[in-house]
Amino acid sequence: MPSSTSSSDMRRSALIALLVTILLMSGWEAYWRSDGSVPGYRNSEGLWAMERRRINDGEGDKTVIAGSSRIFFDTQLDVWEEESGERPIQLALEGTSPAALMEDLVDDLDFTGILIVGVSPGVAFSGYEYRGDAFKRFEEETPTQWLGQQISLLVEPYLAFYQSAYSLFTVMKRQPWPARDDVLVERDVRRLAIYTRDRNARLYEKVETDEGYAEIAKEIWAQFFVPIEERSEEELKQGLENRNNQIERVVAAANSLQERGVEVVFVRNPSEGHYALSEPMYNPRAETWDVLIERTGALGIHWQDHEELQGYWLPEWSHMTGSEADRYTKALYHVIQRERRQDAQDD
Amino acid sequence: MLFNSLTFVVFFVLVLALHNAPFDWKTKKTNLLIASYLFYAAWNPPFVILLWISTVIDWHVAKRLFIEQAQNRRRMLLTISVAVNLGLLGYFKYGGFLLENFVTLAATAGIDYQPPDWNIILPVGISFYTFQTMAYSLDVYFRRAEPSKSFLDFALFVTFFPQLVAGPIVRPTHLLPQFATPRVATPRQLYWGLALMTIGLFQKIVVADGLLAPTADAVFGAEEMLHPVDAWLGTLAFSGQIFSDFAGYSTTAIGVALTLGFGLPDNFRFPYAAIGFSDFWRRWHISLSSWLRDYLYVPLGGNRKGNLRTYANLMTTMLLGGLWHGASWTFVVWGGLHGLYLAAERWLTARLGDRAIWSKLPVQILLAIVTYFLVNITWVFFRAADFPQAWRMIVTMLTWVTDGEKVLPTVHVLQTVITIGIMLIIHWRMRNRQLQEVVERLPTWFTGLIWGTMVTLIIITQGGSDAFIYFQF
Repeated sequence: MPSSTSSSDMRRSALIALLVTILLMSGWEAYWRSDGSVPGYRNSEGLWAMERRRINDGEGDKTVIAGSSRIFFDTQLDVWEEESGERPIQLALEGTSPAALMEDLVDDLDFTGILIVGVSPGVAFSGYEYRGDAFKRFEEETPTQWLGQQISLLVEPYLAFYQSAYSLFTVMKRQPWPARDDVLVERDVRRLAIYTRDRNARLYEKVETDEGYAEIAKEIWAQFFVPIEERSEEELKQGLENRNNQIERVVAAANSLQERGVEVVFVRNPSEGHYALSEPMYNPRAETWDVLIERTGALGIHWQDHEELQGYWLPEWSHMTGSEADRYTKALYHVIQRERRQDAQDD
Repeated sequence: MLFNSLTFVVFFVLVLALHNAPFDWKTKKTNLLIASYLFYAAWNPPFVILLWISTVIDWHVAKRLFIEQAQNRRRMLLTISVAVNLGLLGYFKYGGFLLENFVTLAATAGIDYQPPDWNIILPVGISFYTFQTMAYSLDVYFRRAEPSKSFLDFALFVTFFPQLVAGPIVRPTHLLPQFATPRVATPRQLYWGLALMTIGLFQKIVVADGLLAPTADAVFGAEEMLHPVDAWLGTLAFSGQIFSDFAGYSTTAIGVALTLGFGLPDNFRFPYAAIGFSDFWRRWHISLSSWLRDYLYVPLGGNRKGNLRTYANLMTTMLLGGLWHGASWTFVVWGGLHGLYLAAERWLTARLGDRAIWSKLPVQILLAIVTYFLVNITWVFFRAADFPQAWRMIVTMLTWVTDGEKVLPTVHVLQTVITIGIMLIIHWRMRNRQLQEVVERLPTWFTGLIWGTMVTLIIITQGGSDAFIYFQF
């Protein structure tokens, strides 16, 4: 350590550093707020693990929601609670097949409640697990990760910039860089929802109010779409094999849960635009959804079968705006109850 | 506990506050020891037992070694220490590797042996603290040092949290005397410590994880033959990533220790400006290379037993150095290549080393470039998942066949080229300087501006608390 640098020089530098940090961070926070961002909880693996643990901490008899982003964003816990008197545990993970969670719950005898499983064809029948790390986090969370999550929860509600979508290198990556020959660059999903501490997700208002932003979301959903006719035989065969495997996994898990008294309800939420084209193309209802319902004998609520579940606004084809999700949740809850009563009568 | 985590921020503030509270020295050291165990247990509490085993065995062995005069008994005592430490390392780190190779050998001999799965979790930093405690027993054995008089001091030496899991590997003669007398940081040490922590975290979070990891991950994650530009960029990015990741940890560790009033040795001295491989190893992971020199190369005979033996000792040391990094043959090849480079350099220096041309600047720059180029070849083996991948990379990098796949988008190409370019310029300019010398010449406001900007970049990068690469070693 240099002897000629006085401590007062270093103290001055440290003070300037502190001021610079405060100034730059204020600017960064102000920038994101001016862009429309609002503070909110991060949809982190740690938060998911916290919610997952509730099943083992005395709430195993509750309604649990599994699935991907549609059931996640379209189900409003406040509304469900108002209608049912009970607030469900939200364990859906965007871009992630419900199979892994269902298998996990099969082995967890603490879970005795009702399982609502959202089925988004492109995710559920492909087995895609964009947020698969959450399961690992729940199983292997270290004390330091647990504590880090608790500390993070203290600051998350106050900072608009503290979202993975606004991290420096994520922002850099999504700038309009010139393309490099034929290198395909996967565009990352932008911020789509605001989350509460118990993982209630509500579509980010900017998707609703900013057409350009919604347009970007649509482009991202459609970025790698290839019409089925352009797929090779081998790709199609692989896809089919994959789909059958996923159906087997979900059926096996559902049957095991049902055997020990857990009620399983499958829900297919609305989609439109590009999805109205791609979903029936790759995963026709008769070969996927209908098979699932038939083989599990579970209650299946498909939006096309119920008038109350149709006619909602999905600004980026896949998820409802907050107010629409409120209406939809209420309708969905009552459709489920009606169908359950009907099933009980039939039995 | 990771330095780049919110948990560490809280932990550090508490430890610093306790260390500056009006307790007596023994209480402060006890606080540091408890904090160190908590720091380690935050990953996996049961593994603290391994630290205790190393601590208790080496404490007793060293005490007996010091008083024992009979050489055969001293050897036996040393064997106990080495066997326990290497035994722990062998079981947790190399067990699966040995088993895998045994199965392969058995299969070659026509025996179909199917062992049960080897699902052993590797305790974080085990290679570092086992080497550190072994150094203690070895120093006492070689009569280079006396055993510590205080068990508390020794336990703290084994466990001192700033450098516990990824070094620098500290010698007992360096750290133990510092525990003997009361220490808190002077204001200057405190500010320097904080500045070093900022630099270390900047290297890890912004440079290693933010700027370079995406390129290295994309290239080394590819399963097909790559375009040479991508293969080279991936390798260069990894060279910068591993340096920034590991030097970042060391710098943070040195900074944390300094804020508590302790000095840790340098572990890196701008290694990518090295001219030749002896120079490289005087600049890269200095605490490991000097450990291997003092406790392996020199006891093997070093360069005192003739040329052939010197080359054999060099190769043995570097091969084992490679294996220290990981239980895989790719690491052995990495070490072997470095051994070959060192041997070749020694051979060439003996024949051509005294010519005046080597000291001319353009030649020195050329030699530094050649050194960096050859170091990059070794990084391919270090980073590749297996030999087929390493071979694909080496072939495309050296033959420049351009029909391979391009996987890097423009943004990652730019990030890599600019970052590596700046890093090489900094290493060259700092080759014969100390960081502190340079900083003290800067105007105060400028240091503050750079410091504040680095802190901001660390925060807005929002690192995902990625573990440091060297934790796995």
